[in-house]
Amino acid sequence: QSPVRGRVTDENDQPLPGVNVLIKGTTLGTVTDASGEFRIDNVPADATLQISFIGYTSQELAVNGQSNVAVKLLPDVTSLDEVVVIGYGTTTVKELTGSVAVVNGNDLTALNPVRVEQALQGQAAGVQISAASGSPGAGLNIRIRGFTTNGDNTPLILVDDVPYDEDGLAALNPSDIETINVLKDGTAGIYGVRAANGVILITTKKGKKNAKPTIDFSGYYGVQQTTKRMDLLDAHEYAVLKNETYASGGGTPPFANPNLGKGTDWQDEVFEDAPIQNYNITISGGSEKSRYAIGGSYMNQQGIVGGDKSGYRRYNARVNFTVDILPKLTWENVLLYTNERRDMLPEMGIGSVLFNTINANPAASPWKEDGSYAFLEDVSEVINPLAQMANTFNRNTVNKVVGKQEINYKINDNFEVTGRAGYNYALVDEKQFNPLVYYGANKAQNTAANAALEPNLTKVSDDLSIPVYNNIRETRTTYFNYNFEAFLNYNRTFGVHKIKATLGTSMLGYDNRSLTGTGYNVPYNSNDFADISATESNNYLNNTSSWQDRTRLLSQFVRAEYGYGSKYMLSASVRRDGSTAFGANNRFGYFPAVSGAWVLSEESFFQTSAIQFMKLRASYGVSGNDKIRPNGFLSLLDGEGVYPFDNILANGVAIGRIGNPDLKWETTRQANFGVDLNILQDKVSITADYYVKTTKDLLFQPDISAIVGAYGAGSSTPIINGGTVRNRGLELRIDYHTQLAENLRVNIGYNITTIHNEVIALPPGVDFFEFGSFSVGGGTATRMQVGHPMGYFLGYETDGIYQTQAEIDERGVTQDPATTSPGDLRFVDQDGSKTIDFSGDTDKTRIGSPIPDAIMGLNVGMNFKGIDFSATFYASVGNEILRNYERQLPMSNMLTYNRGRWTGPGSTDEYPRLTTEATRNNVLSDFYIEDGSFVRLKNVQLGYTLPRAIVNRIGASRLRIYVAANNLLTFTKYKGFDPDFSNYDPNVSGIDYGFYPQAKSIMGGLNLTF
Amino acid sequence: CDDFVNVDPLYTRSADNFFRTPTDYQQALTGAYDPMQTSYLDLWIGEIASDNSIAGGEGVTDTEGLHQIDAMTHGGVNNELRSLWRWMYAGVTRTNYIFENRDKLEFDDKARIMGEASFLRGYYYFELVKFFGAVPLIVDRQLPPGEVSSQVRTPATEVYAQIEKDLQAAADALEWTTPVKGRITKGAALALLGKAYLYQNKFTEAATVLDQVINEGGYDLFNNFETMFRVVNEGSKETVFDIEYVGVEGGSYGCFVCLEGFAAVGFHGIRGYDGPVYADGNSYNLPTKDLYDAFESGDPRRDASILDIEAFIAAQEEPGKIKYVTGAGGHTGYYNKKYLKRSDELGLGDNDLTSPVNHKVIRFADVLLMAAEAHNRKPSANDNLALQYLNRVRTRPSVGMAALNLTGTALTEAIYRERRVELAGEGLRFFDLVRTGKAAEEIDGFEAGKHEVFPIPQDEIDLAGADWQQNPKY
Repeated sequence: QSPVRGRVTDENDQPLPGVNVLIKGTTLGTVTDASGEFRIDNVPADATLQISFIGYTSQELAVNGQSNVAVKLLPDVTSLDEVVVIGYGTTTVKELTGSVAVVNGNDLTALNPVRVEQALQGQAAGVQISAASGSPGAGLNIRIRGFTTNGDNTPLILVDDVPYDEDGLAALNPSDIETINVLKDGTAGIYGVRAANGVILITTKKGKKNAKPTIDFSGYYGVQQTTKRMDLLDAHEYAVLKNETYASGGGTPPFANPNLGKGTDWQDEVFEDAPIQNYNITISGGSEKSRYAIGGSYMNQQGIVGGDKSGYRRYNARVNFTVDILPKLTWENVLLYTNERRDMLPEMGIGSVLFNTINANPAASPWKEDGSYAFLEDVSEVINPLAQMANTFNRNTVNKVVGKQEINYKINDNFEVTGRAGYNYALVDEKQFNPLVYYGANKAQNTAANAALEPNLTKVSDDLSIPVYNNIRETRTTYFNYNFEAFLNYNRTFGVHKIKATLGTSMLGYDNRSLTGTGYNVPYNSNDFADISATESNNYLNNTSSWQDRTRLLSQFVRAEYGYGSKYMLSASVRRDGSTAFGANNRFGYFPAVSGAWVLSEESFFQTSAIQFMKLRASYGVSGNDKIRPNGFLSLLDGEGVYPFDNILANGVAIGRIGNPDLKWETTRQANFGVDLNILQDKVSITADYYVKTTKDLLFQPDISAIVGAYGAGSSTPIINGGTVRNRGLELRIDYHTQLAENLRVNIGYNITTIHNEVIALPPGVDFFEFGSFSVGGGTATRMQVGHPMGYFLGYETDGIYQTQAEIDERGVTQDPATTSPGDLRFVDQDGSKTIDFSGDTDKTRIGSPIPDAIMGLNVGMNFKGIDFSATFYASVGNEILRNYERQLPMSNMLTYNRGRWTGPGSTDEYPRLTTEATRNNVLSDFYIEDGSFVRLKNVQLGYTLPRAIVNRIGASRLRIYVAANNLLTFTKYKGFDPDFSNYDPNVSGIDYGFYPQAKSIMGGLNLTF
Repeated sequence: CDDFVNVDPLYTRSADNFFRTPTDYQQALTGAYDPMQTSYLDLWIGEIASDNSIAGGEGVTDTEGLHQIDAMTHGGVNNELRSLWRWMYAGVTRTNYIFENRDKLEFDDKARIMGEASFLRGYYYFELVKFFGAVPLIVDRQLPPGEVSSQVRTPATEVYAQIEKDLQAAADALEWTTPVKGRITKGAALALLGKAYLYQNKFTEAATVLDQVINEGGYDLFNNFETMFRVVNEGSKETVFDIEYVGVEGGSYGCFVCLEGFAAVGFHGIRGYDGPVYADGNSYNLPTKDLYDAFESGDPRRDASILDIEAFIAAQEEPGKIKYVTGAGGHTGYYNKKYLKRSDELGLGDNDLTSPVNHKVIRFADVLLMAAEAHNRKPSANDNLALQYLNRVRTRPSVGMAALNLTGTALTEAIYRERRVELAGEGLRFFDLVRTGKAAEEIDGFEAGKHEVFPIPQDEIDLAGADWQQNPKY
């Protein structure tokens, strides 16, 4: 018997730390250190070593008296033994009965995301990620298998078992993530009333036992640009077209000489190249009884609009520490501190910086001769975006502490009990300074009375008027949640029978509170003094307000799993949830789920060499959505009850919204059928799922009988459960992995998800609900209606352009003769009434849906010796976008498609004439609906890992350098800034109110390990 | 352990933890007064449905429901009627909320608060029964939405019985005078009770309570008919029951039920008006020539009640400078002068909506005429007293019409005529015509057996799901 030393490397000869090395038939063994090296003493000469590591094919090696061995592990593409987290327990890919997408942290980190969700886009089938804004620090919308509800569609997000909200995910540094598991089907029901929108389980990195300290440093620096500039008219074209517009309307052309050259490119003035940088350091390792990962990071991203006026900065520090206190007792401690700072400009909608940018007059200069900001007085409702940015002071600061203490006790080989306490505390400070500013005559955004910045006066009583100075508004909000969980896991195998069971309880509380104050008259009208402490303490206009809410959830859950050999698996669970969000009559709900799988390839009759592994899965489960406004079931005395006594208004009380003691969660029932296949000698793995997800008991506030008294001042009708929406579709994931040559490894992953969303029912008596708005003062734009997808666009269908007056006269359909001339849009008479009705809805029809037919992701990776290359594409197909960022003002700038406007019979059948006359061309029609499909190269990266010999010279074990680009290429026909967006509210998700585009960034970085 | 999820919201007054101090009762009562401030609809429909006025406005689709009522073509889909239904039931609910919690606390002033609440419930139900006939009667509790479908339309007699009970309770609890302007008094309760009796042809009972108002209430006719309706003369001796309005809060078209000003006044205003005394408005509810001509020759109440715009302009110093326009909703040349927007009575904000002018729902002249009618029509008629009351109205100094000397049905007709001219433009005419059986002969398009009541809003029938039968012939 003698010691054996060895070194374990991956297919690229990189050291693999943490690999288990075991003498076969014994419990004797160790794990490799940071250099991939191990040493085992007293190894019999005829021993066999078992070398195993998750994600790699295990190997056995006969020692044969060797004292020094080298092992190269190859990746196991099938990863059938990969651990899958299913909530209060784990299973393996092989035994999984539900539908869970697993994304490896390393795959995410390679994409250099600022936020975790960015990296999830295109990585997991069934998971749709779209930006709510491209501004730094902005959140993303995560939608799992479509829009489940007209309310809050956010999935349940647990980071190390601590609940996070979607906004709160910003606090997480993506490179701290070990894995993400997304529970998509009914088996998510183990999370009961919170699971209807799917569950995202994020695990952070933990360090490894028996490992020397490893120091990982990574960082990148890059430059960002807008992904797109809109095609706008230059000054010359603008002048020509405006002259035509006015002349056509019988007015005086505004430009005597239209030869104004290029003029001002407002997009050049507003967009800038903005830096982005990120640095992480993590120290990890462990002893025989403990493991740890300690790290910190710094991220700073400036905005492509406004630089640091829309910048985001994050510091974060993290400790994960696990120790075996007693032989069977493990204590795990997770602590995360984050400090975030975000500055924001007005974005989305009229009045936003970009809205002003694209509608500003290109013939005007941004500057006056004295160097001050020009007033854009010719376009009445547009202000100088540069002045606007300079005068915006809007900063949020977040301090956040998240932690978990967990104790795990292995009672014996079969029983294991876990108890944990988690907390998530965020202190959010918002500070908004509103200086006195003047943007020119008659601008709604003026806060000063004139260019000398004198204050306006306001009348506070019959004989007293006071000046309205600048103001500073500060809001401090604390968000706190805490949870206690305890559960018992049982695991035993009797021959071919494998039994697992879980029994547990959970308590969760939220306690949020906020205080806001506004103070007037900051000295010198300067942000340097913008604090309430510096304002007039007795100003009449000063005001304060506050709110608080608390909600709680109490749960018990049980799950049983049974496996017969490796062929058949069955699992059943039920959770009982009680929530303060529900009315007294429905405080508790039960959420069952069942699932099963059959591994055909284990059957003796399954004899084909073409298929290495084949499993059929089915699941059905009930889950809920408890994201109901706090106290929605209660009658609160917040109605208006005011009456004059002695001619003075007395404030009484009255019931506001009528309560509903029957109010309850939305219920989602989901069926899932799946198949997993490995073919071509395990080089290709395929996972396909078909799902039908039906959510009923959606929340609405429809009209009710007035005899309950819901129509007094400040009163409203109860929130009720009524209405159903269904999502169904297919998910397919194909992974291909091969070794093309000795050192050339290629992997390709492709996933596609189809979503068919349909409203099945609305509350009795309700035909539809209307949402959104089009243009300024325009009508509603979208509807929720039975038989249609949520938030579909309702408007007029066009049928070309009227070319001649004769065509208008002879059409046989009357289209408001007073406002219709040749060159105008020709609308379709939907109801066959021979008249286009512009006051009612009878000639409106569905002109688009914001929900894509399919979303796709494609990931390509290649390794050749030390060189690695990867690319990730994301595509959305078949969705429409409502273009709603064009002002219809006579002097606002226009997109270049107006070059092709109608100018006479036969000139175009697509773009209407330009005129100041009243026309119907501006009503919501399919002219404003565009195909929102796109393909985007989300990330492309080329890296080089330096040879060991060189790296060792600087004392490091690994050094990789790379160049990467995010959002480098986008293929789309959409005219707006960025098709890759969605609004949070599912009913207006496809309306582009002037979206802040996501940045294209080019960066260089390195990964260094000591 | 399940108690963990049984917590109350913090710092929030919920309907269930209220009524802990006398102030709570007072505040709930103020909340119950509030829905009365939608009385513009009561006034409008009471006039427009009758032969007194036309709907007017910007066009025939401007507040279309009023035009339909004007033409007697109204049906179950009518926004104005639906609003009235909604707001009166909001009032009922707010008073029931107080009754539901009446036993939670005992305190000195409680009898008065309960008395005022009784009056308010009586008022809201009187409005409902007067417009719609049989309506669901919900008393002393808030109706849970789940019980709507089991509510039947309570026969009008039973609704009236509750109204009588409530108004009597109010009269018993309240004083003739109140130190606070705007609070309901014993006189208001008895006068409304008298009116409720009259609407049921219970003349003996009406005569009794109205006599009590006349003899014990300390009311008197105001000495200037024309200026009685001005803000400066609010709270005069003639005021029996006013709905109070002030102009200090502003308001918007988005929420009529939220207004603290009297919306009728601005809406009655002269469209596009530019000139002295009056102010620009929306030209709604325009008096007819029929009403103008109903006044006896020399009756000063005609020119005090109706503004003849052309005559007014012609009498001004510089008539050529005065401008106004007519709306496509109709024009008669007359405006409702009792409630007409004046340049010296404007509220804040959009002053079409925020008039500070009070709505004189019951004034002493009405009480005298109701008493006269009751004494004249009761089984053992007292025409002497009836005539005395009638002549007191006619011959008061600011009117100065000759005393009449009539008996029997001639006296009845004289009282009816007197009611029309004395109370012109005050929203009573339609209901007077209906209850006296004269509607069919006076109102074009009025169909007997149908138009005595308005249709229940069809949406309300549908939403209730209680198989309510629509009123006959609608």
